[in-house]
Amino acid sequence: MTTPTPTPSPRGRRRAPTRIERAAGKAAALQRPRVILALLLLLALTCVMLLDGYLRAEVGGDERVRTGASSSKVPDKVLNGGPILTFRGGQATTVSVPSKTIALTFDDGPNPTWTPQVLAILRKYDVPGTFFLVGSMVSRYPGIVKTMVQQGNEVGIHTFTHVDLSYQSDARVSREMEQTQLALAGAAGITTTLFRAPYSSETDAIDNYSWPVYKKLGQDGYTSVFVDTDSDDWKKPGVSKIVKWATPKGTKGASVLFHDAGGERSQTIKALPQYIEMMKAKGYTFTTVSGVIEKQRATERKQTEREQAQQDQAQQGQAQREQTGNAAAGLRGTTDGNGTDRLQAAHRKATGITLYEGKALIAAVAVAEWTVPALSVGLVVVGVAVMGRFGMMLILARRHFRQRNRRRFAWGPPVAGPVSVIVPAYNEKECIANTLESLARSTHPIEIIVVDDGSTDGTSEIARSAAESLGMSNVRVIRQENAGKPAALNNGVRSASHDIVVMMDGDTVFEPDTVRQLVQPFADPEVGAVAGNAKVGNRDTVIGAWQHIEYVMGFNLDRRMYDLLRCMPTIPGAIGAFRREAVLQVGGMSEDTLAEDTDITIALHRAGWRVVYQEHARAWTEAPGSLKQLWSQRYRWSYGTMQALWKHRKSLTDKGPSGRFGRVGMPLVVIFQIVTPVFAPLIDVFTVYSMIFVDFRAALYAWLAVLGIQLLCAAYAFHLDREKYRYLLMMPLQQLAYRQMMYLVLIHSCITALTGGRLRWQKLKRTGEVGTPAGVS
Amino acid sequence: MFVDSSGRRSKVLRRIGLLIGVVCLTYAGVLGAAFMGWGSSLSPSSLLPFGDAQGGQGPGGIRPQGGIGRQAGLPSPSASVSVSPPASASPSVSVSPSVSASVSVSAAGN
Repeated sequence: MTTPTPTPSPRGRRRAPTRIERAAGKAAALQRPRVILALLLLLALTCVMLLDGYLRAEVGGDERVRTGASSSKVPDKVLNGGPILTFRGGQATTVSVPSKTIALTFDDGPNPTWTPQVLAILRKYDVPGTFFLVGSMVSRYPGIVKTMVQQGNEVGIHTFTHVDLSYQSDARVSREMEQTQLALAGAAGITTTLFRAPYSSETDAIDNYSWPVYKKLGQDGYTSVFVDTDSDDWKKPGVSKIVKWATPKGTKGASVLFHDAGGERSQTIKALPQYIEMMKAKGYTFTTVSGVIEKQRATERKQTEREQAQQDQAQQGQAQREQTGNAAAGLRGTTDGNGTDRLQAAHRKATGITLYEGKALIAAVAVAEWTVPALSVGLVVVGVAVMGRFGMMLILARRHFRQRNRRRFAWGPPVAGPVSVIVPAYNEKECIANTLESLARSTHPIEIIVVDDGSTDGTSEIARSAAESLGMSNVRVIRQENAGKPAALNNGVRSASHDIVVMMDGDTVFEPDTVRQLVQPFADPEVGAVAGNAKVGNRDTVIGAWQHIEYVMGFNLDRRMYDLLRCMPTIPGAIGAFRREAVLQVGGMSEDTLAEDTDITIALHRAGWRVVYQEHARAWTEAPGSLKQLWSQRYRWSYGTMQALWKHRKSLTDKGPSGRFGRVGMPLVVIFQIVTPVFAPLIDVFTVYSMIFVDFRAALYAWLAVLGIQLLCAAYAFHLDREKYRYLLMMPLQQLAYRQMMYLVLIHSCITALTGGRLRWQKLKRTGEVGTPAGVS
Repeated sequence: MFVDSSGRRSKVLRRIGLLIGVVCLTYAGVLGAAFMGWGSSLSPSSLLPFGDAQGGQGPGGIRPQGGIGRQAGLPSPSASVSVSPPASASPSVSVSPSVSASVSVSAAGN
């Protein structure tokens, strides 16, 4: 392979793609089904969040309550009438509760804590109640409602989100009712005709604004239910006052208001048995709202029948009278019996679409109820990981910096012997001359091995002529058939004549001092490899600046941390130095993964070598210039990292240095390079959610606080690397964009890993514009 | 690493993806319909309250649409009309107007 091959193989792995292939690649890059699936998932997530916000009255929540409005337009007979208001035949009719009768009504439920307790009390005393339910709570706790209805209690609608309907449009009022009906249908298989308006009380409190609502709903067929005695239990006045306030005068009947939700209700729970016992002792009976109507109507009927019977007696014969008597007896039989269907006459069995849509709604709410807390857990994971990482980075980076920059610090005797620099090159005609020129100025004795991996653009010729014109005698150009970067590197390592090999990319430019700095750690015989400090050369574009921030902050702070923890996961391909012996010991670069640099670094750790970070060895590299190229680079990196982790998974259970890396390094890499990026967009998702639905300012401040901490860390990293701070201005946008991109990249790589598709090496487009900055070179 | 040349895994995953996509779409659809109240058959007539004794008697509440309720603008006349047939049908009347009577009547009514 060391002999130059004149014609590059057309079937090489990294040959330049034809136009058709490129078009096909573009289509594949779009990955249509994946994009569609991602969008659908996003839609579902949005729905879940919106639903959650709506259920918690954070979406469209309207907390206005009207008080003290005039009631001039409300008929007097309604204002002074009974608590049950119907519009039979379009005519407002009120029904009062018969004497010695109590209709217990409970508002605002269901509540998972208090409602079951109320139901237990009702069951114990064998009395029915009427529950005015808030639809959102019904959909969240359908089981309670089912039990409630099965137990023989009646339910009514208390709107879906507990809003003051007098402020709402007709459409909103209808939606509130229909949504609650759906929730009831899904939870208990019924719909209801009873309604109580939130914030309503006695009939004399109906005002000009709420009256049209009752009228509209009445014409739709709803019965509005008010109260006679209000326990005011929500004020938590103490058990005795609740009982006292709930008790009607004399033997009057009453519709009594309690609350089984909307706050802490232990006083209600205590007062209720006392109240029931007291009223039972007074000879009261308990019924539901339907029971009240039924009872009232029965009395009316009895009266009319008595009148009719008298008329019959007067006009017709004995036989006729008997029959009417029978009818009356039969009627009495039905009305006096307390079969539950009489007490739940307001219920209608839900059928057809209503039933199924209701069930679907309940299921949808259940999904949301699980999803949002699960996502919150994810957010906590991210929060802890991000903050923990920053804390660790700040402490360890500081220690690393102090340790390595002490005046008396040395790795051992200075390393002065010559080293081999391997430059793998594939179609690098723009950059290779620059690279060689920068190496020509090296202050350390080097031999340069350019491995041309079957380039089709004359890279080797350019390299040779450049070496000649620079008067370099230490350059060897090796041509091989196109076989990939790992093979090129292995080829270079085999041909290297020195014990230490420096590997760099064909598009990278070294400073004169770089090689000398990079090889100094080899004075320590434990050190098997050294990672250098890669710098972004093209940092004046937006994407370049983003990557500059990322390189300085993430890579360098990270590498300092990993250096001290002795579990560096990656030596950058742009600049790294290895002991030749160590590379050969682990079998050289492998083609098993797309991230051969991560793969070999982990392998070195497992073989017991130490890998360190040398911040002063700087290499200027050309970062991807477009979002698409950045995407494909990161895609390859993250996929390759996953492959490398998987390849070395056995280190988790190994003994010795391999086990140490498996149990310290692997979890860190998994947490910071896979888990955190996957959950990181939750920061933005929850920020948007909270900004819209909870508290705009608080959410914004929280987001800015996270950004502030990141800025602080970045500023510290810039300080350590003596970089200009002005690039930090790009940081807010960089963070926002990177989080989403890295998330998508990771999901994309995970799916590729799962489907088992083959991912090819993609070469980045180079312009060859990167050189060392004028001040340094 | 990770490469599956048989393509079986990718086929299975594609199906799972399709399923997830359909589920997501359905989810959004259900919520949209439920929020707007589309499709639910809650016409006012089916909601008319407390038609009368007969309406309440059928436990399913399935009864002639609205007609009775509207007829029964005043409760008294229609009540006597609607109740009389089951009363005449039930043979055991005079003994005790109790729970058992109500059961037999409702059975006869159905």
